[in-house]
Amino acid sequence: MTIRHKPSEETLLAYAAGTLRAPEAAVVATHLAFSRSGRDWVRTLQRVGGQLLDELPTSAMSPDALQRVMARIDADGGEAVMPAPLNDMLELPEPLRRYPLGPWRWLGRGTRVRSVGVPRDGDCRVILFKIDPGRKMPQHSHAGVELTCVVSGSYSDEAGRFGPGDFEEADEETNHRPIVDSDVPCICVVALDGQIRLQGVLGRLLQPLARL
Amino acid sequence: MNGRIQSSSPDADGALMLAQPSGRPDFGRLIEAVAQHRDRQAFAELFAYFAPRLKSYLIRTGAAAGTAEDFAQEAMMTVWRKAALFDRERAGASTWVFTIARNLRIDAARRDGKALRELDLSELPNDPAQPDQILSGIDDEARIRAALEALSADQARVVRLSFFHDKAHAEIAQELGLPLGTVKSRLRLAMIKLRDLLSER
Repeated sequence: MTIRHKPSEETLLAYAAGTLRAPEAAVVATHLAFSRSGRDWVRTLQRVGGQLLDELPTSAMSPDALQRVMARIDADGGEAVMPAPLNDMLELPEPLRRYPLGPWRWLGRGTRVRSVGVPRDGDCRVILFKIDPGRKMPQHSHAGVELTCVVSGSYSDEAGRFGPGDFEEADEETNHRPIVDSDVPCICVVALDGQIRLQGVLGRLLQPLARL
Repeated sequence: MNGRIQSSSPDADGALMLAQPSGRPDFGRLIEAVAQHRDRQAFAELFAYFAPRLKSYLIRTGAAAGTAEDFAQEAMMTVWRKAALFDRERAGASTWVFTIARNLRIDAARRDGKALRELDLSELPNDPAQPDQILSGIDDEARIRAALEALSADQARVVRLSFFHDKAHAEIAQELGLPLGTVKSRLRLAMIKLRDLLSER
């Protein structure tokens, strides 16, 4: 499997540094699950982060800080909390399987969506799309940045063809209507700021249902 | 030499620190002692070194001192809890602590102010380390330091700020009094150089 579309250098750096919002970070983590070279590079960048941490000057902690931490460790045993249970979608890569998923919702012909329980950041949240072959993605506003990673199937838009692991960054300027061109449904995970805007009269009637 | 990173950024004042002398404690061994024996003395040594740096780290991101203090304590709690996941072949101690802080920060930075989600260190799949990646910690650190030193002062400053600031570019541009485009192109050039120097192949 060849990844053709990767996150920008800035996005990978922000991911490694932890400056991305949680929903965006979840989509980048999905991409990285498909990309060995991407993971290696992020690890290298995190070594840079470790070095920068070493180089920081110190800020004095309160005198009883260590005592307080030890008291908390004594109080709760200090044992690692079990990882969250896996959700029901076997086809998802590991980073996404740890999040609870909302119910599937119908969003027009051949289009289903469910929310992914990544903590929201303001309006930004993660949505999973499952779109049948030949269908277009629902038209939606780009109130901010939108990050997409394909999990299975593929879609095409003016930027090219996007298959499993491929990553697309869209912003306010982008006006795209991707169409699913695989013969299986396309599952993709999207970090989205704006609301999805359904088209046409029927779309407007359904709009209240589409709020995610 | 000694791994000094050049910078004249007003933000970087105290970041003009000398690298650790080679005689510093083996933090990897201390983390392993916490993992295997719940060694409190080892943890106290880790705490003395890392907690004040973690506090500085969060202050750099714009947090108040009290918030940064809580953050550092929380991160050190996580060091204790997750010590068994530390693997010296995969990451040096400082890198590992950095990733803990990074994960905690992603959760803590959420604006809705809800309780922290339990950290997820399994975010990235565990790749078996390849033989050529198993460098001794010292070699690895030296390599990273050399790469940072190879950047121009301007590039190093933008990279450092990118690690420490939320909403990186616009804020950085403001802080440096530079147009956004200049910051972005500077960062891009810095990343190309780092890739050139640090990519495995």
